[in-house]
Order: sequence, then C-alpha cells, then structure tokens
Amino acid sequence: MNRLTHLPTLRIRPESRRDIHYRGKAHPAAAGDTIATALYANGVRIFGRSLKYHRPRGLYSLDGECSNTTMSVDGVPNVRTETVPAKAGMTVKAQNVVGSAERDLLGFMDALSFAMPAGFYYKTLHKPAPVWPLAINRIRKQAGLGAIAPGFKITGVFDELYPRADVCVVGGGPAGMCAALASAEAGLRVILLEARPWLGGFFDYRAAAHPGGGLLYERARELADQVEKAPTIRVFTSAAMTGAYHDNLITAVQQGGDDDPFDSRYLQIRAGAMVAATGCIERPLLFENNEKPGVMQVGCAHRLARTWGLMPGEKIAFSVGHDLGLEAALDLAELGGRVVCVADIREDGQDPALAAALADRRIPYLKGWVAAEAQGRPTLKRAIFSTITGTVQKEFSCDVLVASAGFTPVTGPLDTAGARLAYDNHTGFFLPTDLPPKTHAGGRIMGLQDPLSIETSGRLAGLRAAVDCGKRVDDAVRESETALASQPGPERGSKLVTAPVKGKKTFICFDEDATLKNVRQAMAQGFDVPELIKRFTAAGTGPGQGGIPGHNLPLFVAQTTASPDKHPRPTTVRAPLVPPLMAEYAGTNHDMSKRTPVHDSQAAAGKMERIAVWNRARVFSKSKGARAEIENVRTNVGMLDASTLGKFRIFGPDAVKALQRVYAGDMTKIPSNRMKYAAMCNDDGCLLDDGVIVKQGENDFYFTASTGRAGQTVEWFRFHTKYENWDFHLVNLTDAYGVINLAGPNARKVLEKVADADVSNDAFPFMGYREFTVNKTILVRAMRLGFVGELSYEFHVPSSWMQALWDILAEAGAEFGIQNFGLEAQNTLRMEKGHVIIGSESEQRTNLLDLGLGFLWDRNKPEAKTVGAVALRQTEDQKGRLKLVGFKMTEPADRPPKDGSPIVDDRIRGYVCTARYSHTLDMPVGMALVEDELTPEGTRLAIFEDGCEGNLIHGEIVPMPFYDPDGKRMRM
Amino acid sequence: MNMLQRQSPVRFSARPVKTEVRDGWTVVLEYAAQGDGLHLIDLSHRAKWDLQDGDLSRFDIAGTPIPSAPNTCTLKNGTAVCRRNRTQALIWHLAGDPPELPEDPALTDVTEASLLAALTGPNIYDVMEKICSLDLKDPAKTTPRLIQGPALHVPCLIMDLGRMGDRDVVLIACSRGYGRDMTEGLLHAGAEWNMAPAGETAFTRLFDI
Repeated sequence: MNRLTHLPTLRIRPESRRDIHYRGKAHPAAAGDTIATALYANGVRIFGRSLKYHRPRGLYSLDGECSNTTMSVDGVPNVRTETVPAKAGMTVKAQNVVGSAERDLLGFMDALSFAMPAGFYYKTLHKPAPVWPLAINRIRKQAGLGAIAPGFKITGVFDELYPRADVCVVGGGPAGMCAALASAEAGLRVILLEARPWLGGFFDYRAAAHPGGGLLYERARELADQVEKAPTIRVFTSAAMTGAYHDNLITAVQQGGDDDPFDSRYLQIRAGAMVAATGCIERPLLFENNEKPGVMQVGCAHRLARTWGLMPGEKIAFSVGHDLGLEAALDLAELGGRVVCVADIREDGQDPALAAALADRRIPYLKGWVAAEAQGRPTLKRAIFSTITGTVQKEFSCDVLVASAGFTPVTGPLDTAGARLAYDNHTGFFLPTDLPPKTHAGGRIMGLQDPLSIETSGRLAGLRAAVDCGKRVDDAVRESETALASQPGPERGSKLVTAPVKGKKTFICFDEDATLKNVRQAMAQGFDVPELIKRFTAAGTGPGQGGIPGHNLPLFVAQTTASPDKHPRPTTVRAPLVPPLMAEYAGTNHDMSKRTPVHDSQAAAGKMERIAVWNRARVFSKSKGARAEIENVRTNVGMLDASTLGKFRIFGPDAVKALQRVYAGDMTKIPSNRMKYAAMCNDDGCLLDDGVIVKQGENDFYFTASTGRAGQTVEWFRFHTKYENWDFHLVNLTDAYGVINLAGPNARKVLEKVADADVSNDAFPFMGYREFTVNKTILVRAMRLGFVGELSYEFHVPSSWMQALWDILAEAGAEFGIQNFGLEAQNTLRMEKGHVIIGSESEQRTNLLDLGLGFLWDRNKPEAKTVGAVALRQTEDQKGRLKLVGFKMTEPADRPPKDGSPIVDDRIRGYVCTARYSHTLDMPVGMALVEDELTPEGTRLAIFEDGCEGNLIHGEIVPMPFYDPDGKRMRM
Repeated sequence: MNMLQRQSPVRFSARPVKTEVRDGWTVVLEYAAQGDGLHLIDLSHRAKWDLQDGDLSRFDIAGTPIPSAPNTCTLKNGTAVCRRNRTQALIWHLAGDPPELPEDPALTDVTEASLLAALTGPNIYDVMEKICSLDLKDPAKTTPRLIQGPALHVPCLIMDLGRMGDRDVVLIACSRGYGRDMTEGLLHAGAEWNMAPAGETAFTRLFDI
C-alpha cells in the first residue's frame, strides 16, 4: 500500500525499513509502525478469529481496546499488535484459527451461535451427568485466545524501575501536558505517563484549527516541546498505566523502542499526587456485524491516515455521533479518500461549519441516521444505514465503515485510585464525582471537548496537585478556575447506544463474542444489573479489559425497560488496566539468596539446596542416605558448615532482664566459660527457638538462634520488652561469623593440631566455651556441643576467615580421613540422638513439655514475666496433647516411613516427624508426635503412607535417644 | 599451608592488576579495564562499627559528635558516622587506616557482618532507581545521608555521599550472605551504562580531591 508521505503529522519514518514475517512472507514495516499498522499497510485486513464463533476480526481501535488484533508474536500469545512496535525479524501469527485467518476451518461455528446462548456453559450439556466431563474438556480445548507451548521460554529484556515523583500525570495529551507543566512550574518533580509512543493525545493527529491560533497538531508539538524542555518533568512514553494503589502508588508497563535497552519495563511510581488526564475513547456503535473487518472507530481511521500515512480504504462510509467524526470524514476526503456518506446520529447540534463543508464536498450527510448492518464476507462490502427509528434504510457500497456512537472517558486510572463515578445526563459520560485525596482529573475525562478548556482544565489539575504537595499556588489556582469558568464547558453528548436492530450479531463485547441478544437473554433470566450480566455473559472480561463494552453495557441495561436500574452505573474496573505479560511483572527477577562464607568450596564438593534464604550443602557423598558421611562422623571425624545459625550479641544493664523475658530458663545463672542451652516459647508455650547463650562480659552475652528464626530474633526481643524502659541492645552477628561443626571421635585430635590452647577434655569439657586462636592468627569462639551425638565442637569465626579455618582443619584432619558432611547426614545423626529440629519435630501446637524439653523451663521464675510460662503451667497436665516419641519399624522392618505420614487407628492419632534408616543401629527408626495414650513403650503404631492404598505399615514405640542414651560419646 | 587469607563476600570476574595485602585481606586497588565511567567498588574489608547506647551524645567518633537526627550523617577524615535511630549509630571507616576499636561495650565491630560496596560516577542514581523504590533522586536532599530500606528486595543501608570530587557516590550495605547476589544485581542494573568493577583506589582517591 502506498503511504501518504507528505503529512506533517506522520509518526513513521519510511526510510527506516524493517521486515516482519507473517504467513511465511516478509512484510516491510517503517520505523514507527506498530505490528498492526505494518500488516495493514501490507494489505492484511483479517488479523484473527473471535473466541466462540470464529468470526473474522480486523483493525478497530489502534489502542488495543479489544482482542481483534491480538496475535502471537515470536511465540508470545495475545500480543496487542496495535500497541507493540514492529521490530525487525518478528514472526507474527494469527490466533484462534484452524487454517488461516482468511480461511478458518472453524468458521462454521458462527452458524452455531444459536447453540451458545448466554450462560450456556452453566446449563448446556450438564445432563446426563456423564456428558459434562467430556464436554468440558472439549469446550476448554476449543475456547481461549492464543496458545502457549508448555516449554516456551520468553526471551527479551524485562526491566523494572521504581521512580519517585511529587506529581504523576497519567495521559500525555494536551490536558496532561498542561498539568505536568503547571506542577513543574511550581517546582515539583513530575512524571508524565503516556500510553502512545509520543505526546499529543487527540491533538497529535488533527489538522483542525486551535482556538488559540495555529493547528491542533502544532499546538501538541509546542506543548510537547515545553514538556521535554522542563527539567523536572520525566516523560515515559509507550507506558500504559496498569493500576493505582494506596498512597498514590502507580504502576505502568512501558514498551521499549528501537533505542531502548529493554523490551519492556515495569514502572512502579510513588507520587505525592496523581492527575488523571486520560481523555476519552470512543463508545462503540452497536449494529449488526459491528465488528466485521472494515468497521473501525473514527480515531482509528483518522490516525491511520494522519499518523501512519495509510488511507483506511477505498470507499469509506461514516456513522458517527460527534463532530470529531465529521472532522475526520472531511480530513480523509481532503487527503484524497473517497467518503461515500456520513450518517450522524444527531438530528441537530452539529458544528454548522463542518456540516457546510460536507455539503461543499458533496458528501451525502444523513442527520438522524445510523449504520444498521455491515455486510460482506469475510470483510466489509457494503453497509445498510437506517434512520435511528429504523423506518427507512439506505445501502452504501464501502470497504471501510467508520463507526462511533460517541465518547466515553477513560476512567480506569480513577477507578483503581478509588474514585466514584456517576452518570452525567448532559454529556452521557460517567464522570468522577468523588475523587480520593491527592487525586485530580483534567481535560476530556471531565467531559470537556473545547481545546482551550481542555488545556485550562489540565493546568488547573496540575496546580491542585501542586497544592497537595505543599506548594502555595493558590492565586494560580484561582486564575485557572476563573479562566475555565469563562471557557466552553462540557458538550452535550450522544446517548444512542444501539441502532434499531434485533442484536443477534450485534456485538457489545468483541473479546467474548457477547451480543445484545446475549445480554437480553441474561436479563430475561433475571440478571438485571450490569455486574451480574457481565459475569453471566462474560462481556467485558476479555483481554481488552472492558475497553469496548465498558460503558455501553450499563447504558444499554439502563435503557432496557426490563431493568429496574434506571440509573446507569459502570461496572467495576480493576487492575491491571492493560494486560501485562507475567514477564513484565517478574522484571529482572534477581534471585536473591544468601551464601555462607565457604559457599564455593561447599558447592564444588557437594549438592547444594536452597533452604529459605540460604544456600546449603545437602549431601557430599553418593551413598544412599548419606551413609558414608554418617558413618564417618560416628567413627572418625567430619565437618559441617553451620554458618546459617543465628548469632547475636546482647548487652547493656538490662540485658539479663531481656533474656529472662524471652527464654524459658533461668538466665541469671550463666557461668563464665560455659554455655547454657535454652529455649524460647511463644505465648502459648510452644517451642519457637532454641540455642545456646554464653557470657562474654558483665551484662554482655553472645547467643545463637536457629537458622529459620534468625531474621525475627531481634524483633522478638523488642516486641516482648516494648513496655519496659530497659536499657539493653542487640546486634545481629549472623553474617559476621561463619560456623564450622567439627564432630566425631577424632575431632579433638584434629583440633589439637591447630589450636593455640589446651583443648583436652579437662581443659575444654562438654558444654564448655573457649576463645583461642588457630595457627596463631584466627580468633575463634569455640563451643563444645553435641547436636550429632559425638565429641563435637562449633567454631564461630569471623566470616572472612571462615574458608581459611575450614582449609586448616581439612588439612589437619587429612591424616584421619576427615570428610565433609551435609544436612542430610546431620539430620539422621541428630535424630539417632533424639535431638529435635524446630519445625521438624514441632509444629505450632507443640510446646516444650510435649517434646520432653521441660527441663529448659525454670518453674521458679515469675510466670507473668516469662513469655509462654503461663501456658506451660496450664498445659502441664493437660490430656490429649501430642507427645514426641521414638519408634522403630516392625512391618516392614527394613525401611522407614515417609516423613509426615499420619499415624492412625480408627482416626488420625499423630504423625511421623522424621524417620530414617539408621545405619548406626542397622534399623529404621524415627520420631513421631502421637496422642498421649500411644506413648507407652511397646505400643504398636499403624502408619498410613501416601499411596499405600490401605496397606498400613507398623512401628513400635521405643525409648529415646536411640543412640548413646547416656551421652558418653559427647563427653569423651 | 599458604599464608592465611581473608575473603570478601564479593567475587568480580574482572582481572585485578594491582593488589595490596592488608590485615589478611587481599585488597584489589585496580582492575583491568575498569575505565573511568560508572564504577562498583567492593569495600567490604573496610572497618565498620555498630554503636548502641542510651545516650549517643556522649560519643565523639573521628572528632565528630554523633548526628542528632536519624538518617543524618557526617563524613570527616574518611569516616562516616550515621545516626540510625534513637539509640543506634553506624560508623564506617572508608579511607585511611582504621583505628583500633575503642574499649567501650557500646561498640561492636561489624566489619564481617555486611557487604559494603560503593557506586561512583555518572548514572548511579539511575542504577539505584532500577533496584529500589527509595528516593535517591530527591532534589531537596542534603548529603551525606542515610537511607534504610530494601534494594533488590534485600534490607539495606544506603549512604548517599552526594558529590565527591568529580563523582557522585552512593554506598550500599547489606548482610554479607547476600554479597554475591547484590553485586551481581547491581552490575546487571548498571549494564546499560557499562558499569564496571573498580579497585579501592578509585574510591579512596575521592577523599584526596
């Protein structure tokens, strides 16, 4: 197609050519083309097929208001080709077709529309019952626009940005630009969002005169130039707002252009105030076959010519309800288009100059007429026009029918911001009546159509936003209010929704193939308000986000006598206002996790696993159940990276009071050079955390917390001391220290080789705490613990020295065959010893006493001053609680049950916490929480495993700990 | 056994061309091809102290009293002192030899606890805008200042030093464990401006300008 290349309003650069691929052919596109305009320029008129009836669909709005032109682009389904720029090499495919868009083998579905009335999904094929499961699969397979391959991986750069602004103006038309300039003049930072790739709005493509002098598009460029030069205004073009949230958090998605380093970018803007200047879209005219390819909106036809240099057709008919339609008809005729007729819904009220100009051009002008039917297959060949009463008809041959019932404001931004809308009988608009704080609106969204009024209204909104941001611009506000009052106010709008038709194929929602007939069917079944009709017919629930039916549906319902609701109310609009890709929400998606100081050496030797925020080594050996690692610890010596433990310093005159408050034990008795094992409970007495505390000075302690609780520990202390005026301080040292657990009967031999201190059993006994250097360089805090049930040390070492210490110990232990062990081995080792892990052997109901850890509770402490003590006292003799027990497997006797398996008889009596095959004991053993009647030794447990099909397995209660019950090995 | 070495939480793939061993740390002074554009500099080895006390006014760090208002900072003689809240301040020794930790229980050496990285040069605020919603572009800001909030969804301490010599400077600190992912995220965010790892000298020289 030849382009109109001489127009000053063009936004394409034909000299910059790129090819896109469609139906196996390369199609040239110009820089500035969208995919849709490029295809249109190459003669494509049918872009895809509709959801239910497989009707052909074509270009309609150019702003992605419906799914007519959603296509698959480079494997991504449902791309709104009207808003996505054409880039070199793109491969574009039509959607919802079997065959091609032009010849769809499922096109016959259109003839079966009688079988798919409103709500058919809820009623049809439900009886007899066996039919529905078959039908539902078929329907689901058939329905839905676009398909994505299961293994599809999206490519591209999906960026994100979190800018701040004083004022965020949504809409880069004349009102938005004036608002932005007004706020910026007040010294504020302004962000201006515009969905199209350039500023200008509905001035941008129009060559009509501006009342202030010059032409509208010239004024648009003048304002855009001022905006670009304003140092405090940031402009984001191709950025469609997706939602407004609390406290003026505004989100948008921006398409990347040729020169941008991203394909798409998620914007999350925090602003002091918001101005909505999103203008209007056209309210679709409803008539038979109103979505046939060739039928398009006024702005679509006009912008095709003026912005992209594409005459929309050879013979163009108009059916409009506003002066912009008349202006477009005249302008297309001026540009060489053949306008065969202009039907105007209005009997009067037109701009007489426009009507006279149509007469001058001998264009048939039919007042009080409307398009009644579009005809032709598969694209438009002719249009039937009638009077709005339907009494007289005329036929015009045409390949494009430009149709528009009127305007309707784009209220999505205000809706999501929480504004209330009310129907205005003068304009026929839903206008904002109750704006949320720090939210303003200006321009056409307020019903204004006069260019000067639009600009003044925008300026006023920008100034009011400035006042919200603390700027003293009251005089300027008053001036703008006065100016606006003297300028033309909102114009009377067209009220007509539908031509006089039966509505069988009059589509109120293109996306969902919902017709007027469907709406009437819904109303006949008692769905009498738009919100219910919307759900029953699906009108407005497609990817166009209600763009096409948004305001027509409530207006149509209100005009229908069957409805008791005579006062139209729009249906609720929700974010996202445009359909973003999941990849756009994901953004750059940095997977942030923590690494221990010896991560690299651990990862090189073992298999890593993500546990909460940390990366940890699960296993190092290939033996089943980490058997080699376990046996090495039991018989020799192993090393575990335990750096993820929480570590804290607490100090200050009231530090002991704080410890007393949150720990169940008596924290006043922590001897020097010794550790105290202690537990924290919540108010219900349930175990929350455990760890050790050492005293490192007067009112100065170092303590550990479990990995999972480390992030909450400081806040836990603060929460439970918030009403005390205690003087204590906490320092989170979790990341400051790495931790090595050296365990096994040969552990001391390894340590003796490197420690600059006496580490004999007498000098450094079980539960002892020492500080010494290793290799006369590395200062370590050493704790003699026994979590895995062997002679064992924990070395807390400054993180930067951690790898060095690890290497030193590995070298010193080489002669003994020291090996790493991971979490899997540790889990079995500690289970054999009967040591619990919070979350594995406990859940939110499990208290200290249930776990047999009552010795950690000091009953002599004042209960009211110890978190959880009251509950512990109350539950001490409570029956029916789940208690922790040990069991061995009997049937089968060679494998453990799965963790989490329920323990049952005629009901669930408990569950398995952790169970493993113990190579040390040569039998499968585990720990379980069971009702107290099941706790006596020798009780037989029936265990239900997932997938056992009723074949229960059995175990028997045995004493714990399973291994070294006297604890001699920890004290050796 | 080789000489014992301390390790930073950061790993840059760039090749060091000038290094210095300092208190067990191998400090990279300069990387190959670091250029003079947008820099990311690892300062994790720099001494960092946590100060907590009911009366912070009694302290005088590097010849400067603790700022009285939360999130305000002083920068003097290469030492930044920031007030975090009513009872807590942080002290970062950014240039020169760090002093010994005073014998006062209110102070804790937290050098090992965190990643500390500097962003210097043009576009640093553009980079920060890509990774956090904190308002570092506020034209009304006074520097140096402390901002406490998330970057890349990780809790961070961000110190905006403003203009130092010929460059804008922002310091960012987070838990040491996040060091690798944080620096990789920063480099990714700065890729469109060719952000490059740079050695410590590229930062410390700013104190001499």
